Amino acid sequence: MRFYDNPPVLAEEQALFVHDLVDYSLGNIDPTKFKAIRVAHGVYEQRQDHTYMIRIRCAAGGLTPEQLRKAAELAEAYGGGEVHFTTRQEIQVHNVTIENLMTVIEGLRSVGLSTRGGGGNTIRNILTPSHSGIRPGDVFDVDPYAMALTTRLIHEPDSWNLPRKFKIAFSTAPDDVSFTQATCLGFVAKMNGDQKGFEVYCSGGMGAKPMVGHLLLAWIPDTEVYAVTRAIKTMFDKHGNRRNRNQNRIKFLWKKIGEEEFKQLFHDEYALVQGKDPLVLPELNNEAQATDLPIETVTGQDFENWKNRYVMAQSQPGLSSILIPLKLGDIYKHHADILCDFLDHFGPNTMRCERAQNIRLRNIPDAYLGNAYRMIQQLDTLSEQPAFIGRMMNCTGAQTCKLGICLPRGLSKAIQKRLIVSDLDFDAIADFRLNMSGCPNTCGMHHIAQLGFFGKVGRKDGDLYPAYNVLAGAKVAAGQTEYAQRVTDIAAHAIPEFVYQFLRDYIAKKDQYATYNAYLDSEGFDLIKALCDQYRDVPAYADDASFYTDFGAKKRLSLEQLGTAECSAGMFDMIDVDQKNMKQIIKALPDTAEPADALKTLLFHTSRMLLVTRGLDPKTDTEVFKLFEKHFVQTELVDKQYSAVVLLGLGSSDALVPHADAVVELANAVMALYKGMDDSLKFKLDDAAGSGHTAQHVTQDFRGVACPMNFVKTKLALEALKSGDSLDVLLDDGEPIENVPNSVQQEGHTIVKKEKVENHWQVTIRKA
Amino acid sequence: MTFSDAQVERYSRHIILSDVGGDGQQKLLSSRVLIIGAGGLGSPIALYLAAAGVGHLGIVDADRVDLSNLQRQIAHYTADVGRLKTESAQEKINAMNPDVSVTLYHERFEAHNAFALMQGYDFVIDGTDSFESKFLINDACVMAKQAFSHGGILRFDGQTFTYAPGHACYRCIFDDLPPKNAVPTCSQAGVLGSIAGMLGTIQATEAIKYLLGVGTGLTDRILSFNAKQMQFRTISVSRNSACKVCSQSPTITKLVNYEAPVCDLKSRGGAA
Repeated sequence: MRFYDNPPVLAEEQALFVHDLVDYSLGNIDPTKFKAIRVAHGVYEQRQDHTYMIRIRCAAGGLTPEQLRKAAELAEAYGGGEVHFTTRQEIQVHNVTIENLMTVIEGLRSVGLSTRGGGGNTIRNILTPSHSGIRPGDVFDVDPYAMALTTRLIHEPDSWNLPRKFKIAFSTAPDDVSFTQATCLGFVAKMNGDQKGFEVYCSGGMGAKPMVGHLLLAWIPDTEVYAVTRAIKTMFDKHGNRRNRNQNRIKFLWKKIGEEEFKQLFHDEYALVQGKDPLVLPELNNEAQATDLPIETVTGQDFENWKNRYVMAQSQPGLSSILIPLKLGDIYKHHADILCDFLDHFGPNTMRCERAQNIRLRNIPDAYLGNAYRMIQQLDTLSEQPAFIGRMMNCTGAQTCKLGICLPRGLSKAIQKRLIVSDLDFDAIADFRLNMSGCPNTCGMHHIAQLGFFGKVGRKDGDLYPAYNVLAGAKVAAGQTEYAQRVTDIAAHAIPEFVYQFLRDYIAKKDQYATYNAYLDSEGFDLIKALCDQYRDVPAYADDASFYTDFGAKKRLSLEQLGTAECSAGMFDMIDVDQKNMKQIIKALPDTAEPADALKTLLFHTSRMLLVTRGLDPKTDTEVFKLFEKHFVQTELVDKQYSAVVLLGLGSSDALVPHADAVVELANAVMALYKGMDDSLKFKLDDAAGSGHTAQHVTQDFRGVACPMNFVKTKLALEALKSGDSLDVLLDDGEPIENVPNSVQQEGHTIVKKEKVENHWQVTIRKA
Repeated sequence: MTFSDAQVERYSRHIILSDVGGDGQQKLLSSRVLIIGAGGLGSPIALYLAAAGVGHLGIVDADRVDLSNLQRQIAHYTADVGRLKTESAQEKINAMNPDVSVTLYHERFEAHNAFALMQGYDFVIDGTDSFESKFLINDACVMAKQAFSHGGILRFDGQTFTYAPGHACYRCIFDDLPPKNAVPTCSQAGVLGSIAGMLGTIQATEAIKYLLGVGTGLTDRILSFNAKQMQFRTISVSRNSACKVCSQSPTITKLVNYEAPVCDLKSRGGAA
């Protein structure tokens, strides 16, 4: 059993990745480019050089015992030992060195698991509540949709080169456990009479600039899930901001163009695909598999406590679902084996990754709860603790992540340690969300926290200490989601006591308030501020050095090792490297006594800089010059007069000395071209220095011309133009506007604009 | 050159087609194809190429229409019996597509006129029914470095392949003419009329693909079918280093007329 199917090309792509790995090891690929390649394969570099984390797709959080067993085996043999469960319902293997990357990736593939798209600008893991299909009272099971959609999207080649990452989630009920409004595209199950369907939310997202998603469609039949996704994906691909990676999630598009235009663009795309290619849903049975495992009977208060805290009766009579609260989201091989041996008795559909970095079991017959309890006792988990303790969420933080400022894993442990020795009734707040992230990125989901923290640097007399911003009050429900607001900040070392003091007050007063937010508004926010003020006075480093070393860190806080984001596009990094080199050489050139080599290097960076925008991937230095000449000079993106100079790059560097001025001019022309590049990587030719070519813009009136003759004429008009030129065609409403743009797109051209003018349409096409 | 409105409409299904488009249709309109034989194979070949807008067709045939031809030679009608096949075919082509000009060669394709007839054509199609013609066409095309389509039908069977310079030729596969009377002709053994259409349209398709430079042709492959069992197969072939005409040291270096089998008098050098 598999929860998604990998496309046949995966093996091929991974074989190419092996080549790139070897090339990188030999120094033939620079680290910036290698980063762009490996991130797309779900491979992230950790804080320690040449040590990697591998992220593994688990559609709808689904993982079979066979798959977990394999991942754990690989993690022990080649990684840090632990299989880490993430807040996005995937698993990760950490601390893999470069020579073992492929062994791990291929091992995972052998059990149907893919790392492709774990990172990079693509469709990320698709989420559903871990209880989908089994929780009493849910609208219906959304897992089949998430799984079928995953398979469909990872088979589409255009899923791999979106402007930025794209996240999709499904919820089973209005309580929106999957946080669809904090997601690029979210579906909430909703019936319309006896027809299954979804409420659709779009353009939500957390991160450093959080935005709450908007209602896009009040209801669609369940057969439209793919068409809606396809339309949003196409729209994002066309209009997303590829230029600025900090502005290129789909939420920024909504913000930039506004609700009306966003919806108009969406409906234009949706009209082209509506009703087409509905998902083929997998059959996913939640039932008990027959087993001859002898039943173990357990009694006693501990067992009852555990059942109350972690066992949920499924909507399927006689079956139970069990939450296993992992310590920091980790499980090791010997424990994974125990778990998987147990699950083997009940079938492959028995496990889901859960968003609070835990494992949820399902389809366990009630009679075997005793066996399950004994099995879980052998694992090292938080199952003896109240559920709230195990629900605390944190990202991996600076331990492995290059972006991390603080170490929320250490903080999480410290908070647990403080709370466990207290006498508070945490069962009263079993669902309370206490989330923390090591930096302003939201891997630890602090925006949807009821009490949340995200890392920052504190300063005392010039010394740095780990600190956190404090947030509170997020509300989650379909259509009513609100993010937590930042209240204040606090030193990391003061947090465990702060959390204890705050929760003591809340638990004591909980019954006086209708909701947690009512408590916050009335007195909770004030308490947070007051408590943080108490802890504001951080001791000087000379007096108490412990405040300056993060929980779980060996050394005092420093920012030296802080890296840049791993997850985003490597393309602009590559361009920037070339541009930086070019500027340096040009600056130094007047003082360079023998400029031949410098000129050659300048010409090389000039030629290479923009190749990536055309998807060109030169394998040798010679190819750099040839490809640039062909794709930038011959196409007159830069003046054709430079052709000879570029081709001099193929010979000895001395030949360039007499043409030094031309080489510098060309470099400036290319940088000017880049400056004029728009968000979708098109060049503004008029701004480009030294360019003599102006893109043509032609208008043709095909009103009154019936299908398919209007397309025939459009095609002929396009054939007369050059690549990059634009054609405006006027088309009648009805069949013509429904068919022609679609057919034009299928030929590879771009529909730039579709606009209704009185009773007809004006369509702007850019020739491919 | 631009299309007239009528041309845009006439060729719209080609223009829509991704691999043809307006550019491809222009190529067809400026192409020239020589069809040798205006009989069973030549009829569908000529009609489909004309319909496709291949701008110029040459037709070589010396025979007149016989009543026994009409069972398969669909360019000719009952009223045409006794007329020259070339003229009968030209009339149908003109009626179908005025864009196509036709040159008629009312003669046999023979050693003395072979090179002159082929002059100026982009592609040659063999629609003859005799081995001597087939070997002669092959030898002439190899020597002139001229691409052509070979075709043959008998009873329920058909075979075709496409020659392009540098690839296997007819002699690479079939070294020389079969002995006299070893293989019967259509007039002796019969032929199912409709398979002339099956094979002829395959040859027309190969010609159009060649002119457009699209797809994979039947070069170095023979396609053969048996319509009774309706089985098609393609057999890969390769150049024969000892080929009498296309090898490094050919033994045939000039064209001669080959001797016809003695029993086939009626349609010698004519069409299938």
